[in-house]
Amino acid sequence: MAGSNTAVKEALKTHPAPSSVSSQEVHKWLQDFTWEFKSNRTKYPTKYNMDNNTREQFKLTAKEYARMESVKEERQYGTLLDGLSRLDAGNKIAPQWGEIMKLVANFLETGEYGAISGSALLWDSAQSPEQKNGYLAQVIDEVRHVNQTAYVNYYFGKHYYDPAGHTNMRQLRAINPLYPGVKRSFGEGFLAGDPVESSINLQLVGEACFTNPLIVSITEWAAANGDEITPTVFLSIETDELRHMANGYQTIVSIVNDPEAMKYLQTDLDNAFWTQHKFLTPFIGAALEYGSKYKVEPWAKSWNRWVYEDWAGIWLGRLAQFGIKSPACLGDAKQDAVWGHHDLMLLAYALWPLTGIRVSLPSTEDMAWFERHYPGWYDHYGKIYEEWKALGFEDPNSGFLGAIWMMQNGHGIFVDHTSSLPFCPTLAKSAVRPSFLESNGKRYAFSEPHGERMWLQEPERYEFVNFFEQFEGRELSELIKSAGGVRSDGKTLMAQPHVNTTGLWTLDDIKNINLTIPDPMKILNWQPTH
Amino acid sequence: MTNSNAYNAGTNGMEGQSFIDEFLSKENSVIHSSDAVVLAMMKTEEIDVIIDEMIKPMRVDNPTIAIEDRGGYWWIKATGKIVIDCDEAAEILGKRYTVYDLLVNISTTIGRAMTVGNQFIITTELVGLESAVPTGV
Repeated sequence: MAGSNTAVKEALKTHPAPSSVSSQEVHKWLQDFTWEFKSNRTKYPTKYNMDNNTREQFKLTAKEYARMESVKEERQYGTLLDGLSRLDAGNKIAPQWGEIMKLVANFLETGEYGAISGSALLWDSAQSPEQKNGYLAQVIDEVRHVNQTAYVNYYFGKHYYDPAGHTNMRQLRAINPLYPGVKRSFGEGFLAGDPVESSINLQLVGEACFTNPLIVSITEWAAANGDEITPTVFLSIETDELRHMANGYQTIVSIVNDPEAMKYLQTDLDNAFWTQHKFLTPFIGAALEYGSKYKVEPWAKSWNRWVYEDWAGIWLGRLAQFGIKSPACLGDAKQDAVWGHHDLMLLAYALWPLTGIRVSLPSTEDMAWFERHYPGWYDHYGKIYEEWKALGFEDPNSGFLGAIWMMQNGHGIFVDHTSSLPFCPTLAKSAVRPSFLESNGKRYAFSEPHGERMWLQEPERYEFVNFFEQFEGRELSELIKSAGGVRSDGKTLMAQPHVNTTGLWTLDDIKNINLTIPDPMKILNWQPTH
Repeated sequence: MTNSNAYNAGTNGMEGQSFIDEFLSKENSVIHSSDAVVLAMMKTEEIDVIIDEMIKPMRVDNPTIAIEDRGGYWWIKATGKIVIDCDEAAEILGKRYTVYDLLVNISTTIGRAMTVGNQFIITTELVGLESAVPTGV
């Protein structure tokens, strides 16, 4: 003990305690106690040289961090648990919105979980004490966010009138054809590869760009559709994101003056933008426009504001003087912002029994809104939905399934090997230019050239077994049952093709369709000949 | 004169096919650098006061500041910089209020955001590159 006291006294001689106790002075003082870089080792080395003098813009100390976060929790849970329960808020939500939140909250939970690892590996790689400080606070933030997103599903599961899906969406991820796209962007994108590349994916693109529509502007839609829970929780999540955005910016600051960085930075930025955009642009758009009864504004306008004008202009545009250029894929990304969510939703309707939620085809009012904001929508998508409805899309006795209609009409559904998301080459209006490549005796589908280029550069990075490969030969009702996609009676599906309380589909109705899952890559007449 | 930072200024003021044509135009398929900053602040008792008593009056000196009520949050966009002095906020609110209390309710930033002493600053400046990160003490 005596020895340790001496050590403390010696340390205080070298680094005198501050004369006042303002939190920022404490922060400055703490930075004097730095890591010994000569012996510092990292488990996750980066190809970039991260400057040891990089700063952390918010100057956090553990005391101020903990106080700030505890106030957030008190305000968030304090509001929700008492007042909203008494107001019966969970039952005043527009059904479409209550359904889409089954996916939004659950998919975002995966992102927050991946972000724990992503920010932890950055903490390990960085050598600047302040930079480490910022990353470390982010690790703790991300744990908080996992709990918050799970809490949204928990709250809906407890109070919303159709809890099925809010209660066990994690289990249903196994068969949801959209979920591999979540894993690709939020999982692999956030935490694998070079640490600085992870920072670009997670902090500079995922958080600084796409959390603004996904977590901030979505709250306006939630409020408009009677959801009193999501605005409070999501806006509280985002109060941490601004520090993460600053972390991402300081990652760039820490490397950008090194001439070697420019060998990689533009490619890593382009790939990260495409990786995050490929899932988030169609998913957020579909969630907002097809998951709502009351619509706020066209998704393409939100994208223009939050992604193009503000994120790209204020972040990337200002960094142009350091050699950052517009991503080569920007034009295609904008085409996707107009049409990608309509393409994705068409497939979600076609494959509804696998989604775990109740979907409803656009109403007459919805169709008019879509046509007004996306001229040409009705002729391309609206007519299909009208035909499907007439053929019995909603009726459990009809034997109709959109996926079978597509197969019978020559519209193959494939899985893009880079983004892991499904696409239909013959019905897409987004920037789809498909290709089918062979490697080591296996054939792969790609929906566009940006992803194809990424795969060609690092094929081992995109290894995964897609939905059709995994479940080829399985009968659909048997697959849904084995994945837990039924309600407490053991036979009624969690997913439904309408939001009515009667006329619910059961496993028997799916069994009557008699669909054995094919592997589209083996059905050659679906594939373009080029 | 319309504020170019307004919520639906520029391309977003167009509708239907006109909007899509402008959005997808060649001119808009590359990034244009912006000197604006954006803030979203959760609506709370304190933030509503800060908007009314501190941010709105800032428009006298900086008429580019646009403020929008977006349901659960305030959306603010300005050219250059926004500084929120939490000593001043504490005086207006009549209670202890630090910059870390303010951060409880700032939901997003686009631009370089930081704390300096008891001030919250968001700026178009590339701090750490064009200038040093201010120490605050």
